[in-house]
Amino acid sequence: MEQFPAVKRSKDGQPIQYLIVDDSVFARKNLGRIIDSFGGKVAGEAGDGLTAITEYERLKPDIVLMDITMPQMEGIEAAEKIVQKDPHARVVMVSSVGYQENIVAALQRGARHFVQKPVKPEVLYEVIKYVLGEDGVAAGATGAGV
Amino acid sequence: MSQFSDDPAAELRDLFFETAGELLQALNEDALKLEKAPADEDVIRSMRRTVHTLKGDAAAAGFQQLSELAHVLEDALAIEARAENPSLAELGFVAADTFASMLAAYRAETALPDTSAVRRLVQDLASQPQPGSVPTAKSISSGGQAKWTEYEKLSAETAASQGKKILHVVAQLDPLCAMPIAARQLLVNALSGLAEILAARPEPGSAVQGQAIELLVATSEPESAIAAKCRIPTVITTVECFEPARGNAPIMAPADGQAAATARPGPRSTAAAIGAASPVRRAAGGETILRVDAERIDNVLNLIGEMIIGKSMLQQALEEYTSRFSRDPLRSRLQDAMAMQARVLNDLQRSVMKIRMVPVEQLFRRFPRMVRDLGQRCNKSVELIVRGENTDVDKSLLDAIAEPLTHIVRNAISHGLESAEERTRAGKPAAGRIHLDASHQANQLIVEVTDDGRGIDVRKVKARAIESGLVRADEVERLSNAQVLDLIFRPGFSTADEITEVSGRGVGLDVVGSVLHRLKGSVEVETRPGQGTKFRLKLPLTLAITKALLFRIAQRLYAIPLNTVIEIARARESDLHRVDRWEVVELRGQVLPLIRLEERSGEEIATSDRRIFVLVIQPAERKIGLIVDAIEGEEELVLKPLDDEALDTDLVTGASVLGDGRVVLILNQAALLERFLASPADSPSTGAIMAAVAGRGSGVASGVGQ
Repeated sequence: MEQFPAVKRSKDGQPIQYLIVDDSVFARKNLGRIIDSFGGKVAGEAGDGLTAITEYERLKPDIVLMDITMPQMEGIEAAEKIVQKDPHARVVMVSSVGYQENIVAALQRGARHFVQKPVKPEVLYEVIKYVLGEDGVAAGATGAGV
Repeated sequence: MSQFSDDPAAELRDLFFETAGELLQALNEDALKLEKAPADEDVIRSMRRTVHTLKGDAAAAGFQQLSELAHVLEDALAIEARAENPSLAELGFVAADTFASMLAAYRAETALPDTSAVRRLVQDLASQPQPGSVPTAKSISSGGQAKWTEYEKLSAETAASQGKKILHVVAQLDPLCAMPIAARQLLVNALSGLAEILAARPEPGSAVQGQAIELLVATSEPESAIAAKCRIPTVITTVECFEPARGNAPIMAPADGQAAATARPGPRSTAAAIGAASPVRRAAGGETILRVDAERIDNVLNLIGEMIIGKSMLQQALEEYTSRFSRDPLRSRLQDAMAMQARVLNDLQRSVMKIRMVPVEQLFRRFPRMVRDLGQRCNKSVELIVRGENTDVDKSLLDAIAEPLTHIVRNAISHGLESAEERTRAGKPAAGRIHLDASHQANQLIVEVTDDGRGIDVRKVKARAIESGLVRADEVERLSNAQVLDLIFRPGFSTADEITEVSGRGVGLDVVGSVLHRLKGSVEVETRPGQGTKFRLKLPLTLAITKALLFRIAQRLYAIPLNTVIEIARARESDLHRVDRWEVVELRGQVLPLIRLEERSGEEIATSDRRIFVLVIQPAERKIGLIVDAIEGEEELVLKPLDDEALDTDLVTGASVLGDGRVVLILNQAALLERFLASPADSPSTGAIMAAVAGRGSGVASGVGQ
């Protein structure tokens, strides 16, 4: 897999911590691999929205990658709940094109960005940099992300 | 911002449907005026304003096609030189119909109808020489394609007047991003706090989604900051940001005529378009400020009903308390509190009732257009005269009578009125007249449809009724004319078109009969050969809560709405006289015919010296007296309608529960009178009503009297 200049936290130079939320184990592993290629660290995984909320509380990750359709609690609601508790939470919705409406709803409820499935690493990379803004630094890059 | 499946959006759409209905009504009315006075520029302007509003509303509700068609029409109406063009009225009608069927299609989520009739008319109009008119097309700014609606322009102007800078943002969508609406939302998010989004394209649900997202924003930030914020990786590639005024004013850019150019002749003719028009549901009054689902009001009303029952429970408990502890000082305090509660409850109920009332004009408004269209189709000139349009009526009742009333009016035009030649021969004015009257009488709503046509031929009705198997030949001769005419409302009396040739009446009139029956109302026909016909609909105002007089007849408890009781008189049975078939009593020098529900032989009555009460009621023009044994008092009753299975008689309008749990039946005095009047022809069967009312009799009472 293509390697990207590693993105680190600008405050302490540590890898970015991710929480991956998807009911498909395959999708989680796939995202994990991509995150590895960004130099990030998968802090935790969740297979449904409810778990996602508790895991977010416990792990306080820098970024949440959130699927839309899941059992127990859908991604939109989970995203909303997470952002309600922590307004600084960076939730990126990950979904296929057919769920555009749900993405819009999630964005209206505080999600920061979205990525289409199947996830293209270079797209996710740009999204991550954008979402992190000044809180993230790409190794080898001269400054902060966009 | 509008969303997808959210409730606010659905509510917005509902609101749109309702207001659009009103706009179409206004459009129809203007077109009617224009037909009479084609040169009236005020009317054209008003028409254009209406179309303009429709355009903006439709766009805001997300109905692009309708908005676009309205836009085409608005342009067509724009030019002063259009005045005195007779086809403008026609255009108005066709457009109103097309909009109506588009609305219906949107509502039912079916395919949109053909709009070519309107477009062709607009094109015809445009191809006519327009002295002094100059093409109005203007180019739009370099990148921007968006046409902002009037609302959006207005909000831009407002923001500008508050010292904000207005920017038109054109953000090119990343070709890899397949979700323009999500991208749009992201842009909106990105700008939150920096700029106020006044408008955005593409709109959710729009069929064609361009490669650019366009925003109209108001901001205090520099353009560069806005543009920078809009460059969102993976979603937006390039961003253009400019003040609309500089870019050749897209804000103010009027129609560019492009929409009109897409007009294409369709296969359907104008007439077909008219025929296909589905009537738009009438919306609530024009100046209503708040629109609420009627169901919500009904809920409140129901709850008030329950409170009233609770109140009478308290009242009875208090009475018992008073009799037990008559010296207790608490008693008067309780009484004061009760009195206050009763007063407030009363006011509350009346306020809620008032919410439901609307002027009958809301229904009558649709008739001028209908009469015009139908008159044209039947090749008859018809004049419609409407009276009493301010009569207040319960909204649900108004909706319910719309269909029967339409049937009657339609019948009056197509069959009741003669052709112009026939009328002239008969010495009548060539134009037929239809009167539409509404009024209150006692607690009834009266709606009359009167035509000055040929009248109904009773002999033909008789023949037809026998033919349809409704009556036997020997029976029919015993029927009064009124009874014969009643037959036309019976299902099975006619099969549509056949009857129009036979009697000239009958199409769908059984609908009238059944609806009126369901509403516990009645319909009467008066006809005079050669002079015309009058249909009179009588409806109870169906007040869910009514003050009623409780009384007993033969140990059984009944009620009648208090406002129908004119007077309560006392008498002895020995005071009663018999005139012809009726029992009568002399009341202050006047002879009052009486109804007796109880079965008693004449002999019994003559020898009885029993004290009785006579309730004087006046369901119609005539006063009649109802003989009752005892008066129980008055009480507020919450009317619980009875379904037809529970009680197969129209003599009872409903039932109610008293504070102590007793059930009381509420008599339908109009039906009582009807039976009373109908009875003489039949053999007296005095107990039949009692039987029917008490639910014992399986058949419907056939008579009262004796």
